[in-house]
Amino acid sequence: MTGTTTKRGQQWRAARVAVALAAVAWLASTPADAKLGSCTDPVVFGTTISETGLFSTLTGNWRKMTEIFADEINKAGGIKLSSCGDKGVPVKFVVYDDQSVPATAVQLYERMASVDQVDFFVGPDWSSIGGPVPPVAERHGIPIVMGNVATPSLYQRGYKWVWGTPAPAVPRWSERYFDMLAHVDPKPKTIMFLTHDNPVMKAITAVWSKKAAAQGIKVVGEEMFSADLKDFTALIAKVRAAKPDIVYISSFDNPSVPLVQQLRQFKVRAMDVHHAMLTGALKKQVGKDLEGMTGELTWFPSVKGPYADLYERVMDRTGITMFDSIWTLARLNSYLVMIQAIEKAGAVDREKVQKALYKGTFKSPAGDIVFDEHGFPDTGAFTIQMQNDKVEVVWPPDVATAKPIWPSPTWQ
Amino acid sequence: MSVDVVLQVVVGGVLLGGLYALVAFGLSLIYGVVRILNFAHGTILAVVGVMASVMFASWQLSPVLIALILVPGVFVIGALFYRGLLRPLERRSPLEATIGTVLVTVGALLILSDVTAVLAGPMQRNILLRAPVIEVGDIIISITQLAILAAIVVLTLAIHVILKTTWFGLAVRAVTQEPVAAELCGARSLGIKTLTFGVGSATVAMAAVLYVLTFPVDPYMGFGLTVKAFTIIVVGGIGNLPGALIVGVLLGVAEGLVGLFWGPEWSPAISVVLLLLILVAFPAGFRWRRA
Repeated sequence: MTGTTTKRGQQWRAARVAVALAAVAWLASTPADAKLGSCTDPVVFGTTISETGLFSTLTGNWRKMTEIFADEINKAGGIKLSSCGDKGVPVKFVVYDDQSVPATAVQLYERMASVDQVDFFVGPDWSSIGGPVPPVAERHGIPIVMGNVATPSLYQRGYKWVWGTPAPAVPRWSERYFDMLAHVDPKPKTIMFLTHDNPVMKAITAVWSKKAAAQGIKVVGEEMFSADLKDFTALIAKVRAAKPDIVYISSFDNPSVPLVQQLRQFKVRAMDVHHAMLTGALKKQVGKDLEGMTGELTWFPSVKGPYADLYERVMDRTGITMFDSIWTLARLNSYLVMIQAIEKAGAVDREKVQKALYKGTFKSPAGDIVFDEHGFPDTGAFTIQMQNDKVEVVWPPDVATAKPIWPSPTWQ
Repeated sequence: MSVDVVLQVVVGGVLLGGLYALVAFGLSLIYGVVRILNFAHGTILAVVGVMASVMFASWQLSPVLIALILVPGVFVIGALFYRGLLRPLERRSPLEATIGTVLVTVGALLILSDVTAVLAGPMQRNILLRAPVIEVGDIIISITQLAILAAIVVLTLAIHVILKTTWFGLAVRAVTQEPVAAELCGARSLGIKTLTFGVGSATVAMAAVLYVLTFPVDPYMGFGLTVKAFTIIVVGGIGNLPGALIVGVLLGVAEGLVGLFWGPEWSPAISVVLLLLILVAFPAGFRWRRA
């Protein structure tokens, strides 16, 4: 009798433990969506910014910019939801510093999903972070619109909840520059690529070296360098030996500072030195060495597309310019696209927002953002040239602020 | 590949290697006397380099004047860092002291890098002097590079002379070789160690001013330099300045040639590869002279 009681007691305890474990597992697997469907609570966007570490030079003042963006949206009435009788719901951001470290970013997105219980994810940048973060969104079923994650292959992993607004997208990165090369006189015959060892930069070189060859420009060299390299003597010796008409630098701005300085020091000659990331930060670092170089700019205020006024106000209040911080457009686009998707969905409902994002078309100051089936956009960029210490848009001609100076006199 | 191209790379490698050797001198002195591996050593170069660049950009001070301001300052801070944070650890057990010094120096590395990045920004900076260049065939050497090479030679000789002819040098060598006997002979261990930590830090500050005259620095580049300095002193021998200079120059040239013949992305890794190869092939180190 005692033995039976003990056995039953053990079974009962085991059953209670099993039920408790099942309950914990169920709670852990349930998305944190306490506020979903509400017409009164703010819509909460969770994001990380690389405020410190390797990529921090690219994100100047973005935390303040994000707060100002939310303020501007809320002043204009918030996010309009049809399920709430077109009532505007305010937007609020939860922002953390991912320290430019992918593992830290993953932890923070997990935290935002489980602890902060944000409604949607926006904005992480850089392909090294954009690679590991999407699985968090997939696991929790939270739509994410990433910012400057430009490597197409990162989107082709069968994700259901992942989109991105990189500007420019790698397949269209230097589209207008190569269009310009087809029209300049004298035409360049050779090109050499100098590539920062980084996923997105390697992807840019892979796409545009093929494009160059297809356009009849012979690729006479492809050299890779690490972000730590300070002495570029060996690499520049190869450039001088190859004598290319175009030197194409595919690099983030900061790691290429000594490269640009030493190209000048070693008197490299070319028709043009093109930098895939010609930014205000680079200009501050190398100054006049940038004169005559060409690059890409995603958007400038003379192009008055939808929401251009909003972006100008946000940037003015933040105290940044598009040239100083060229990654700002993609970052703001990620916020704007998510807001438009929620408005299209008509409710703070993750599944409806997911459907609105899938192969959707969204407005931005630089033109429509059209997502393919993988969540990748088709955004292009304008070609710029440093002329008399100023940034001039030189291609395409219909929006250009100046004509290209060709061949670039400072590299002769 | 033309001879000019190879020579150009060798010239660049000698310059870079000379700067590596200067960094290693300080680390070698400190380890030889104080027996502490200062993981923040390369970060001193990064931080002082950033400070020098900011001073140049803000007030257009001459690099010589910048060095005259920064080097004594770093000497004092280095000495205080040792007395305030590292010296107290010597009272603990050897294991705790070792772990403690690693934690303190690594912590200093992280704090110095982050504070500098917050105050001055994380971007790369340098002092760009638009000096004329000398062209010999296809080889280009700037007057700045020649001046830096000359400064490296003068500094190396000065440190060598100080170590060989002064009381401080005698004491340093004595403490390096036999600390207990040195103390018995009147060399005050605490004073010598404090002075050495200051001198080692000042040496790297001097290297920093020379470094930013030709290469950019950023607050986070220090640890890579420390690893290179470790490689140099392990291969060249603790307290062996000529050995450190030779190995530093060889490392700089090796980095350049690896970049030229293999690919620039492999250059930063060569110091670690060399260190591993030499540790495997010569576990007892090189013997530069007969015992």
